[in-house]
Amino acid sequence: MVTELNESTFEAFIKNNGTVLIDCWAPWCRPCRMLAPIIEELSEEMKGKAAFGKLNTDENQGIAMRFGINAIPTLLVFKDGVMYEPLIGLMPKEDIKRYLLGL
Amino acid sequence: MSIIVIGTGPAGIQAAIHAARGKTAVTMIGKRTNSAMYGAHVENYFGIPGRTEGSEILNTGIEQAVSFGSKHIEENVIAMERSGDVFIVRTESGNEIEGKAVILASGISRTKLNVPGEKEFFGKGVSYCASCDCNFYKGKRVAVVGDESEAAASAELMTRYASAVFWITKDTKASDVMIKKAADAGAEIISENLAEIMGKEKVTRIKFTDTSMLNVDGVFIELGGRSSSDLAMDIDVMPNADGTINVNEKCETSVSGVFACGDITGKPWQIAKAVGQGAVAGMNALAYVKGDKNVG
Repeated sequence: MVTELNESTFEAFIKNNGTVLIDCWAPWCRPCRMLAPIIEELSEEMKGKAAFGKLNTDENQGIAMRFGINAIPTLLVFKDGVMYEPLIGLMPKEDIKRYLLGL
Repeated sequence: MSIIVIGTGPAGIQAAIHAARGKTAVTMIGKRTNSAMYGAHVENYFGIPGRTEGSEILNTGIEQAVSFGSKHIEENVIAMERSGDVFIVRTESGNEIEGKAVILASGISRTKLNVPGEKEFFGKGVSYCASCDCNFYKGKRVAVVGDESEAAASAELMTRYASAVFWITKDTKASDVMIKKAADAGAEIISENLAEIMGKEKVTRIKFTDTSMLNVDGVFIELGGRSSSDLAMDIDVMPNADGTINVNEKCETSVSGVFACGDITGKPWQIAKAVGQGAVAGMNALAYVKGDKNVG
């Protein structure tokens, strides 16, 4: 399951989960559309190991600015509240999984 | 109703040959110079011994397809649309072609410029998708790099967001229509080669091969035409993360009437495989438009 996040739920989602991946996307972004089903699949495969969220950067520009996002899709990654290097652009599922398991 | 073949490499040409022999209207769209085979030497293709120029085989192949009745439009495709079971394909000069079946055969595109700073600043000012990231550059200065119509379209798009747009194109191959659109929208055309992307945390400027510099906040790299995988999404075919498109043994994609063949379906990137799949796609597209279910 991928949880839809916004300005008011974003912080708590990171705080309440250990390993967190947040897919920052926008409706007009084609690579984002390609990545979405991959993140969905990954959330099922990694159930219990990581929490998955998605954030519409168009509707939540404040967060996008705060995290310096200027390319989408960007995957924001946190572990125990600490931010790690984000993953930028479309990438294969296995690469994302490996990155998360290696944190 | 006709068959539209996108791409004029070995897969597209073979598909056009097989489809055109079935007495159906076939239109091949694509610049032959875009095929990876164009600049290659061919040594491992059955029946062609020695080292033969890829361009020579492509030129002969296009003539052959045309002799069977296929049309050829030597242009890049910039957009596609699906309206019921009819597909509409738009080219860079504004041509619109309608078809009942589409064969995607335009390969895998080169997207990287390979200049210093490009990798380092990816996501920190460097972008490969203007339509994705335009919104993050409101009121900023951006450069768009690329010689084809796609770059012109991106430059035009960015003028709606950025405060200044510089289209970097040393050897422009874009259509006159697209060049005019970009220029009319206010993009400044700079005829130089990009040498380096520079900055600290983020991109701050670019350097040209003549060592002159330009201050920018973003660099959009738009090489070549739109890739098959990108175009495929226009007609609801969803590519894999690596840009390849899944097909079955009939070269059918997940969308009825859309076929794919050649490099776009994945490795091996070989002429023999492209030609084989081209034949399969051409025959099955023909069967599809004729309503014949019994072709393998």
